[in-house]
Amino acid sequence: MKRSSILGLIVIAVAISVIIAVMSKSSSYSTFNEAKKTESQLNVVGILDKQKELYYDAAKDANYFSFFVKDNKGDECKVVFIGTKPQDFERSEKIVLTGQMVGNEFHASKILMKCPSKYTQDKIETTEVKAKSANI
Amino acid sequence: MDKAFQGEHLLPGHIGQIFVILSFGAALLSTISYYFATTNTDPLDKSWLRMARLGFYTNTISILGVGVCLFYIIYNHYFEYHYAWSYTSRSLPVYYIVSGFWNGQEGGFLLWTFWQAVLGNILIWKAKSWEKPVMTVVSLSQTVLATMILGIELFGQRIGSSPFLLLRNSGIEAPIFSQPNYLSFIKDGQGMNPLLQNYWMVIHPPTLFLGLASVVVPFAYAIAGLWQKRYKEWVNQAIPYALFGSMILGTGVIMGSLWAYESLNFGGFWAWDPVENASIFPWLTLVAGLHVMIVFKNSGHAYVTATILVLVSFIMVLYSSFLARSGVLGDTSVHSFVDNGMFWHLLEYVAIFLAVSIYFLVSRWKELPIAKKDEETYSREFWMFVGAIFLGLSCFHLILVTSIPVWNRAFGTKVAPPTDLVGHYNIIQASFAMVITILTGFTQFLKYKKTDITRFFITTLLYLAFAAIITAIIVYATGLYKLQFVFALVMLGSIYSLLANGKVLADALKGKFKLAGSAVAHIGFALMLVGALIAAGTRGVVSKNEKGTINIAGFNNNGGAGDSRENIMIYKNEPVKMGDYMVTYLGDSLAGPHHYFKVNYKRYNADGKTTDEFLLKPDVLTNPQAGSEPSPSPDTKHFLFHDLYTHITALPVAKENPAGGETGAAHGEENDDKNYDAPVAYEVSKGDTIHFREGYIVLKSLNKEAQVQNIPLSATDIAIGAKLVVVSHDKTYEAEPVYMIRNKSAFDFARKVEDAGLKLRLTKIIPDKNKVEITVYQQPEDKKPWIVMRALDFPYINFLWAGTVIMIVGFLLSIFRRNKELKTV
Repeated sequence: MKRSSILGLIVIAVAISVIIAVMSKSSSYSTFNEAKKTESQLNVVGILDKQKELYYDAAKDANYFSFFVKDNKGDECKVVFIGTKPQDFERSEKIVLTGQMVGNEFHASKILMKCPSKYTQDKIETTEVKAKSANI
Repeated sequence: MDKAFQGEHLLPGHIGQIFVILSFGAALLSTISYYFATTNTDPLDKSWLRMARLGFYTNTISILGVGVCLFYIIYNHYFEYHYAWSYTSRSLPVYYIVSGFWNGQEGGFLLWTFWQAVLGNILIWKAKSWEKPVMTVVSLSQTVLATMILGIELFGQRIGSSPFLLLRNSGIEAPIFSQPNYLSFIKDGQGMNPLLQNYWMVIHPPTLFLGLASVVVPFAYAIAGLWQKRYKEWVNQAIPYALFGSMILGTGVIMGSLWAYESLNFGGFWAWDPVENASIFPWLTLVAGLHVMIVFKNSGHAYVTATILVLVSFIMVLYSSFLARSGVLGDTSVHSFVDNGMFWHLLEYVAIFLAVSIYFLVSRWKELPIAKKDEETYSREFWMFVGAIFLGLSCFHLILVTSIPVWNRAFGTKVAPPTDLVGHYNIIQASFAMVITILTGFTQFLKYKKTDITRFFITTLLYLAFAAIITAIIVYATGLYKLQFVFALVMLGSIYSLLANGKVLADALKGKFKLAGSAVAHIGFALMLVGALIAAGTRGVVSKNEKGTINIAGFNNNGGAGDSRENIMIYKNEPVKMGDYMVTYLGDSLAGPHHYFKVNYKRYNADGKTTDEFLLKPDVLTNPQAGSEPSPSPDTKHFLFHDLYTHITALPVAKENPAGGETGAAHGEENDDKNYDAPVAYEVSKGDTIHFREGYIVLKSLNKEAQVQNIPLSATDIAIGAKLVVVSHDKTYEAEPVYMIRNKSAFDFARKVEDAGLKLRLTKIIPDKNKVEITVYQQPEDKKPWIVMRALDFPYINFLWAGTVIMIVGFLLSIFRRNKELKTV
């Protein structure tokens, strides 16, 4: 057997194991309902319920932030994040939470927010502009 | 139909738009002419070549014209243009107008096409017999890039997005645009995000785009080699350009990471964000390609791999641009652009060049110089090849994970990236890094073509043993052993690579100077890994918060990746012990969009003496865009062997007067009292001490001739001041509340000591006891100003930056060497 064929086989083996590693680690976008059924970490996509309280009191605990999120199915759940309130949180349009259910609370280890972009303009921000200009 | 609008400056936009269209037309002309110049069989017929060059020169001048017009618009604050309105404002300092220039997508494309034009002109000047085919490819890329900023309507579809788009045509609907004098309502632009108002943003994008643009040159040579069937020759020509591309692209990426570290608040220099990952795809494949090109040059093996890697590098440039700009990463990246309707256009750019690459590879496949004989196992080339393949595999993994949203979109699946994404990347990429660093090490002991095996094994193992000892010491001293074992292995590989390449460098200095470039670059690379590994792996949280924690089982052990319990709240002027430091929040100040918070750090030795004291000013930047909260920006104290990084993570809800102007005058007295706890009155005589929660107050003396601001005293008035000295947290303040009798009525004037959270009144004079009554108002804890901050310690991070600089030097040395070889051949 040629050495290049051996190398080729090694490359294919490594590539396949990388694919398997990624596949086995990858999670899915799901809902709070599904999160209640499992103990593993997963991602929930939803929107912030702006009617309910965003609780953050640095004097009591600087690392505790809780809020309510409505997932894509419309179910609402209290979310606890160990950390400070992310900047521009109220402005978020869409939230991707990574974490797991603990009792009736979803404990998020990561929050990814889609705000009207800070780096460039987009449609959402232009609607704000509209409101502002109309006031003039 | 067309209304006349007042005050608009349409001329620069019209001229700019003409240049935009001209740049496209000229690039197209140049591409077609270069194509025919290449296929023309009559060597005396220079007409196509002349036309092609003319086209390319016109394209270059048009791009400069576009740049000048855009700059003129931004510089003069013509907010009728969407670009100027979106990214700049009147208050923007002039030097940031330059970064406003490439703030938007259009500016990014402009920068890219500009660099590509510059490189094209260098090729016209230098490439000689390669000019025609190589420039056909470069012009084609230039043509496609020009369509990105075209912004014209064709068959009801807008092609590209022009930087000269008018605000009223930009799709923003507003009633004011129906008024002819709408411009008089638009006083100022949106302004630039203050986070981008940073000197790194002035130099990082041009560097990165030069790097991205330069990848087209080796690509064009590879295509030209296949096209013209000059299979072997192109490699030598392309090596210097590939070195240049790797150097600049690498520098650009590291500059971005330095910018993130210095001025963003994600607490590190690399976050594995999809946009960051995308920027290193082309770097990994280009560096791999570079190595295989050298293998081919020396041994005649691995031609196909070299070609494919070079072709793939440029495809990766286009693909990463697609990822960052098409909006496809929306759910996974924090800093990707939002789709502005160019999804398919960007994808077409990738598809065109992918099709060209595949076409030439397939059509020439049978003729390619594929070596029949196997390579020697103990040759440097073979292991360089293996190393390059592993670089490619590492890139493959990054692409696989980063592109998850692309797979979802293509196959309709709903897969999410791994939940512990950072951990996943760290471990798998570390495994590749380990293999690659070991290879960059022992390959140095091999000879080109054939090596004395026994000697090779002895030296290799000797160095490996030595590296293992050093690694063990480092791993133990830095605490790296607490992490996954693979990180210790990467450290071993890096140290080994350092030693092996150090030896090559030492030999090089003795005479074999040719090899210095690669040795220096490898040393730099290994040093970068050492720095990154220690800094990211053993990053310490200084601001640990022990009090009031709510422990949630299984939640805090996410390997330090999350935000867990890393924030600490500190009240103004109340020192808090944090790790080895005593930290005090001293106060804040405003300067432009910056809101600085002064944080004093003190370190004591065992005897309680201060060994180290410094002030950090983490910053919170006011965001000019409506409704958005201020963005924090860190401040870092740089020591030689570690960095102390501090940033604000939460603040009290903004008061009307955040800078805390101390008025001292007594107004709104009743309301003001609500900010304090119930007052306590003390009867004291001269020299007495009053204790309060955070210190004590001493009555020094009574001043019979006290003055009250704004109130002139008449002869019948009596005003007595109590000279008080307040000591709180090792700081001394003075205050003089005043008691006054006028027309038989008594008044008193309170004095505040904001820093100690006190209000003091002289409420009574008791002449018989020779005493006075001092009333002390103390602020409750939660009314006192506070900040929540996070402080991190990055050990040995300077190795990362130093390694980068060394790697750049290595690349430079190699460029000189390869360029010289090119001339002598």
